[in-house]
Amino acid sequence: MTIKILSILLLFASQYQICRGEQNATKESLPKKYRLNGTNTQFAFGDAREIALSTTAKLTRNNKLIAMGAIVTPQGHILTKASSCVGAREATLANGEIFKLKIKKRNEILDLALYQIISDRTDFPHVIWSETNSTNNISWVLSAYRELSEIRVGISSANPREIGREGGVMGVILGNESAKGIRITEVVPQAAADKAGLRQGDIIQKVDRRSVKFRDQVVDLVGKKDPGDVVKIQILRKKKTEDYNITLGHRSVTFDLFNRNLQMSGPVSKRKDNFPMIIQHDLPLPKEAMGGPLFDVEGKCIGINIARVDRVTVFSLPSNIARVMVSDLQPIN
Amino acid sequence: MKAVSYIFFLLSSFVWADIVSTEAWNKKSPENRSDLISIQKRLNLLLPEVQKALVSIEAGDGAGSGIIVSEDGLVLSAAHVIGNTGKKMRVRLPNGKSAPAITLGGSEISDAGMLKITQKGPWPYIDIAAKNKSEIGNWCFGLGHPGGFDEKRGIVVRIGRIIAKKNETMQTDSRLLGGDSGGPLFNFDGKLIAIHSRVSQKPDQNFHVPIEAFHANWAFFKEKPLVTYETMQEGGFFGVSCEETESGIMIREVYEGTAAEKAGMSINDILLEVNNEPLDSREEFIILISSLEPGQEANILYQRNGSQSAVKVKLGVRPEDD
Repeated sequence: MTIKILSILLLFASQYQICRGEQNATKESLPKKYRLNGTNTQFAFGDAREIALSTTAKLTRNNKLIAMGAIVTPQGHILTKASSCVGAREATLANGEIFKLKIKKRNEILDLALYQIISDRTDFPHVIWSETNSTNNISWVLSAYRELSEIRVGISSANPREIGREGGVMGVILGNESAKGIRITEVVPQAAADKAGLRQGDIIQKVDRRSVKFRDQVVDLVGKKDPGDVVKIQILRKKKTEDYNITLGHRSVTFDLFNRNLQMSGPVSKRKDNFPMIIQHDLPLPKEAMGGPLFDVEGKCIGINIARVDRVTVFSLPSNIARVMVSDLQPIN
Repeated sequence: MKAVSYIFFLLSSFVWADIVSTEAWNKKSPENRSDLISIQKRLNLLLPEVQKALVSIEAGDGAGSGIIVSEDGLVLSAAHVIGNTGKKMRVRLPNGKSAPAITLGGSEISDAGMLKITQKGPWPYIDIAAKNKSEIGNWCFGLGHPGGFDEKRGIVVRIGRIIAKKNETMQTDSRLLGGDSGGPLFNFDGKLIAIHSRVSQKPDQNFHVPIEAFHANWAFFKEKPLVTYETMQEGGFFGVSCEETESGIMIREVYEGTAAEKAGMSINDILLEVNNEPLDSREEFIILISSLEPGQEANILYQRNGSQSAVKVKLGVRPEDD
């Protein structure tokens, strides 16, 4: 195994050397501007690019970017991801203007929040919603990038679908049931239970003060909670009972066989489950760019980026669902 | 009559030339919205056919992807997905149908791997690009089942361009996730040009096994056990590092005290054959040498300053990497 790893490293090393020693040689790599997210490709999107930049706002708290938002009315209403922008104070537009914000409403089910720019202006550039609902066709999508001077492009990459709720997990494998409780046969390294101090061989007796005898009881009680919630576990270890508070983790992060993906992903959105419908796409956007609008090649807004799932996956709430948040807003003229 | 057909010929060649020049995916960059829409339409035109031949590979301890390339169920995938030779696995087609398969060979050098569906076909399959048909800058699209088969999500599609090609590795800016591994990368003619191999730290510089790696060792991968770094360690050692260039497989370094040095090999020599087997790739050279035993003789045909020479060498023992 060590040999294998070393060889792979060596392979890279030798390739690296080859690259360096190859100034006179055959072909180099594709210049940045021609790449999928190079400037040439970005500018090919023309008006759609302009629209994306002018109708997206940066939302900040203490001058730090915490989310992006879609400007949805000429009066400066901004729709964004609720759980990302708690305490958002200011909005910055692409032209550099900065405005104070006030919150109008939140929808926890959709994880959306509606803010409004504090201003008398009624000429804010705003998104035009797409009337066509999400299709199964693979198509170009784009969003504004962090500094509102560039866009990121990609394709809708899988079927639009409902994303079910993902309960929290402790990261243990449950074994024998006995009169005393349920034995832990394995603790997943680095997972919630491991961090809290649970060990293999511990016997779970209580979950949130309720006595448990069967594996299913533990799974049910813990599964009702969300990742990030705390569960109080009483265990029996060496004839002594002990209490542990465990901050639950995400199932996909804890048990994913490919969690190397997640290690390499950088920060992902805390809430990325339980949506009635999503569009999946692959725009390279950071967690802080969630809440911003997603556009089609015509520059119509087809959704709100609602969760960064991993290094190559973003979920967006389709426009027909996201619009519900603003449907009762009357144009003030 | 002749004149008419001549005119028709002229006309048709004009039309043809016109189509070629306006194919958006053959331009250096898409220039406007209509170019982008052409690329999108082309992608949606090609997808239904090639998706049918995609498989999700289910082993006990993980999952990956693969693509069927023959009616009798030969599947191309990644070496790290198949793991080793003669292993039983299951493959699942997009329609949910599952079939038994057995792993064949491949090589850890390029990460090329093969398996064979053991159930009788006919299986849907795709066309493989001929060698050297893909170039830096070409548009490409990939398929995969990241994280395993998911009926609701369906097949995940990626798009990108080839950003580099070096020896037995291709790099694209198409996105990639573990579980995509072994999945296919197509050109905009719908032909298979590579297999997804490994993700890079940067999400827009991922690695693929170019189809040339399969072409160069097709029979060997199909019939012989997987070439691993461990098995290579046991094999013969020549003592050069080389690189694929436009003029051929060129020696970049000759190591001291090795068979290659004793044989008088020098930098910039082009390797042509090993034991009368013409070399198609750097990897094929490494495989041929390391499938011989230390102490065995190998006939090396090479080219220096335009003229060919043959040399017989006694292979040595590969030094430990540490």
